[in-house]
Amino acid sequence: MTSTVPEHEIGRSVVTEPVRDDGPPGAVKARGLVKTFKGGVEAVRGIDLSVRAGEVFGFLGPNGAGKTTTVRMLCTLLPPTAGTALVAGLDVLARPAEVRKRIGVALQEIGLDPVQTGRELIELQCGLYGIVGEDARRRAQELLDLVGLTDAADRRTKTYSGGMKRRLDLASALVHSPEVLFLDEPTTGLDPASRLTVWDEVRRINALGTSVFLTTQYLEEADQLCDRVAIIDAGRIVAEGTPEALKAEMGHDVVTVALDGADAGATAAAIGALPGLERVVPEPEALALYVEDGPSSIAEIVRRLDQARISVGAISVSRPSLDDVFLSATGRRLEGADSAESPPESGGDSA
Amino acid sequence: MTTAVALLGRRAVRETFRMPEATIPTLFIPLFFLAVNIGQVSKTFPSSTPWLHGQGYVAFQTPVSLLFAVCTATSGLALVTEIDNGYFDKLLVAPVRRSSIIFGRLAADVVRGIGTATLVLVVALAFGARVKAGVPGAVAIVGLSALWGAAYAGFAILVALYTRNVQATNASFILFFPLLFLTPNFVPFDRLTGLMEALARANPVSYVIEGLRSLVLQGWVLDKLAICLGVIVATGLVLTWLSVRAIEGYDR
Repeated sequence: MTSTVPEHEIGRSVVTEPVRDDGPPGAVKARGLVKTFKGGVEAVRGIDLSVRAGEVFGFLGPNGAGKTTTVRMLCTLLPPTAGTALVAGLDVLARPAEVRKRIGVALQEIGLDPVQTGRELIELQCGLYGIVGEDARRRAQELLDLVGLTDAADRRTKTYSGGMKRRLDLASALVHSPEVLFLDEPTTGLDPASRLTVWDEVRRINALGTSVFLTTQYLEEADQLCDRVAIIDAGRIVAEGTPEALKAEMGHDVVTVALDGADAGATAAAIGALPGLERVVPEPEALALYVEDGPSSIAEIVRRLDQARISVGAISVSRPSLDDVFLSATGRRLEGADSAESPPESGGDSA
Repeated sequence: MTTAVALLGRRAVRETFRMPEATIPTLFIPLFFLAVNIGQVSKTFPSSTPWLHGQGYVAFQTPVSLLFAVCTATSGLALVTEIDNGYFDKLLVAPVRRSSIIFGRLAADVVRGIGTATLVLVVALAFGARVKAGVPGAVAIVGLSALWGAAYAGFAILVALYTRNVQATNASFILFFPLLFLTPNFVPFDRLTGLMEALARANPVSYVIEGLRSLVLQGWVLDKLAICLGVIVATGLVLTWLSVRAIEGYDR
């Protein structure tokens, strides 16, 4: 198990690929990472992470779960209250300057200077990474071409759309061809078309050998882009593995019974020990039944409810999703969920 | 570090030229005060007044307007805006010394100060003031004013870094009013009441005004200029050191 948190505190923890302490450092390796802000708010409560070189690693969780705080610690922007973290094999506390040379960062808040043009911004960013003169101009043009902003390159960034700003921010994180790229919710607030464009960029960047650490609250994004994901909730990792493996752990199918006013306890009792039933998870106005074979279970579920004279709404069958993984680990759905505790995502250290 | 300061300084200067709306209002108050003070007091203090050294009152008031023009919260406001919009994080995560961000801003303050001080001096000359120290003296007035602007800019930068709040940073400018008015701004030290003279003599801004004023009214009075330069350097060193310390410790 990767998390240091006792299992009873986090529900059913799902970890399909345990992190080995003795393995190579890879892109990111964190042990017992803790961040407690002033006022005692525990944003990150002792997480372990291991991101392999060359992979796209998804850090999935609701708002306020601790994703951004974790990224800020890994990017040397915030000191951890406890624990250790290696990024590109370097300790973020002992060698922050060297870590910064090897990482690219696009934070959740798109960090652009509105008064500069796209080209000026990229060239400045090149300069800050030691690329100057003709090299900087050439690199800026390459990146502007890469993210499809050549036509808008000489316009001030305040005139850019949200999608263009995000792509420029992404380009500015790539000026020095970083080993590890941190993307903090890169598609939040974007329209579907811009989101797909960013996904394509992430795939292209990763194909060139850059490891990507991506935080997201979108299940589909994690599913589509990530080789492996860790799910964080209330500052703790509750599940980790490949999306496929995590979903496979959930059982074969999910049968959702809409209660439509029926009593959840009575309905669950009526269904009873259904053959192939792995577990029943109550949801608002529904029951989620994890069964081996969904379609063939429906008839038996209907028969049992009928026998118990319980009237329910629609009954549907679906394959397990990462949301089901989240539900299983935390007892609630990820989509539309915000963490019960929403710690400040930046601020003073309490340490 | 030099490259980073040059790059960030160039960016900040570019910002000044592209956002004249941030600089022009800071010129309104000093020019307004200059015009009003001259209009109200010039008959009371004609050019025969001994401490005016044969010039009109406008010459006496020019240094006050110069300091008013160059002391702004512009750099602090620009910094806090970047903290707000996330660009500051982008700079912090770059492999450059954090102090480069401060020095880049201060470099722009010097450039902005040269521009605004030149403009105020030209207006003062148009109102009849003459610089006794000649053209080199005028250049020194502009240079010293710009340096004082950069030295004092550290205060708003400090407020920006500690409060991370636009309103608080903007309000920090208000502190300059007592600093500017508890000086021999209207009359020389010996014409002030006892308490006001004591306060003015304890206020370092008085000596910056006295230094600039000596160039306008008397020519090259080296002891006054030395004290003026000393105050500018000391203020700059203290506030810049505090700002660098604040940015180095930011979120650490």
